[in-house]
Amino acid sequence: MAAAGLCPCRALLARCGGALRVLCGSVRGLATGPEMHFGFQTVTEAERREKINQVFDSVAKKYDIMNDSMTLGIHRVWKDILMHKMNPSPGTLLLDVAGGTGDIAFRFINYVRSAQERQLQQKLKHHQNLSWQEISESYQEGKFKPLGDSQVVVCDINKEMLKVGKQKAQHLGYSEGLSWVLGNAEELPFDDDKFDVYTIAFGIRNVTRIDLALQEAYRVLKPGGRFLCLEFSHVSSPLLSRLYDLYSFQVIPVLGEVIAGDWKSYQYLVESIRRFPPQEELKAMIEDAGFLKVDYQNLNSGIVAIHSGFKL
Amino acid sequence: MLRGGGRGAAAVLRGAAAGGRAASGGQGRDPDPGQGSGSARPQPLEPSLLRFLVCPLSKRPLRYEEATNELINEELGIAYPVIDGIPNMIPEAARTTQKKPPAEGLKQP
Repeated sequence: MAAAGLCPCRALLARCGGALRVLCGSVRGLATGPEMHFGFQTVTEAERREKINQVFDSVAKKYDIMNDSMTLGIHRVWKDILMHKMNPSPGTLLLDVAGGTGDIAFRFINYVRSAQERQLQQKLKHHQNLSWQEISESYQEGKFKPLGDSQVVVCDINKEMLKVGKQKAQHLGYSEGLSWVLGNAEELPFDDDKFDVYTIAFGIRNVTRIDLALQEAYRVLKPGGRFLCLEFSHVSSPLLSRLYDLYSFQVIPVLGEVIAGDWKSYQYLVESIRRFPPQEELKAMIEDAGFLKVDYQNLNSGIVAIHSGFKL
Repeated sequence: MLRGGGRGAAAVLRGAAAGGRAASGGQGRDPDPGQGSGSARPQPLEPSLLRFLVCPLSKRPLRYEEATNELINEELGIAYPVIDGIPNMIPEAARTTQKKPPAEGLKQP
């Protein structure tokens, strides 16, 4: 009888114990999972991915307007500088990762289009005595290859950002040589040795495993291919640093609230910039992935930096 | 002018992709010549992308299934959907095409 009395208790205890164990396990899992930063918070890897996904779902529609307001339009200059540094020639295959709304992709298309036009004009200039046949042929050539076989693939992990990008492309009349893929920078759905240039502009900061993304970048680039990363970086001058902090933490989240109705996302943005490795550290990470002749160029005293490396 | 040229180039690429598909042997699917530009059906995948896309997990080539608008990895038995002409190459979003679970785990470590 005592045993019978004990048994249900034990069974109950066992069940409680089981439940407690599960609870402890999950709590332990939460605590001992790889801890990462989300801005200034500490979260698990899975949480970080989800939070960042939510940030970009939320900001996608206002992304471009916010960029212009936050940087007073200077982000356009940074992206132009990146394109000039890349100096793509017609026939280049570009993979633009985290390219969401297409800023880099559109610039690339414009650049190779004008380069192609210039090439064609140069060719015509050197052929002074063309027959009518040759002239008509050269016009046909131009018609079918305004981009000269150049192509850009925009890969982003966020559906909303890609949607905005695709709409922009339709609006602005970009269609040829442009494709969109939903993919993860840490696990690219592309084959080895495929692209001439890999760019990631203001995106690598949001990647959870930067080392994996860099390895994937190395993998998909052709030998001789170039890696280019445009990202917020660290300001060395103390005075500028203080002004920058003031602007970042006092002005930007307010702009975020007023323009996009989203304080938290922009708070995350400025925090994530502070958490991101400085120039030399990122350079070392890029070298670890196998890239050679890795170098960086500071823009605006280090507010932004362009890192470059080659797969040789 | 650009758009006209674009359509011509797209037709050429489609032909090339179809030829490529037939040559690679796949499952012997006949290329659909009347592939509509998304009239009543969801937007199909741009054929030029097929040159680059592989399965993000195994890095093996994929087969484009026009009927269901999916990219199929036969070996692992998973299919990636194409939504609004944009292929969704996130492993978590792929569905399994077979009854038994695929050999490789779909979850990211």
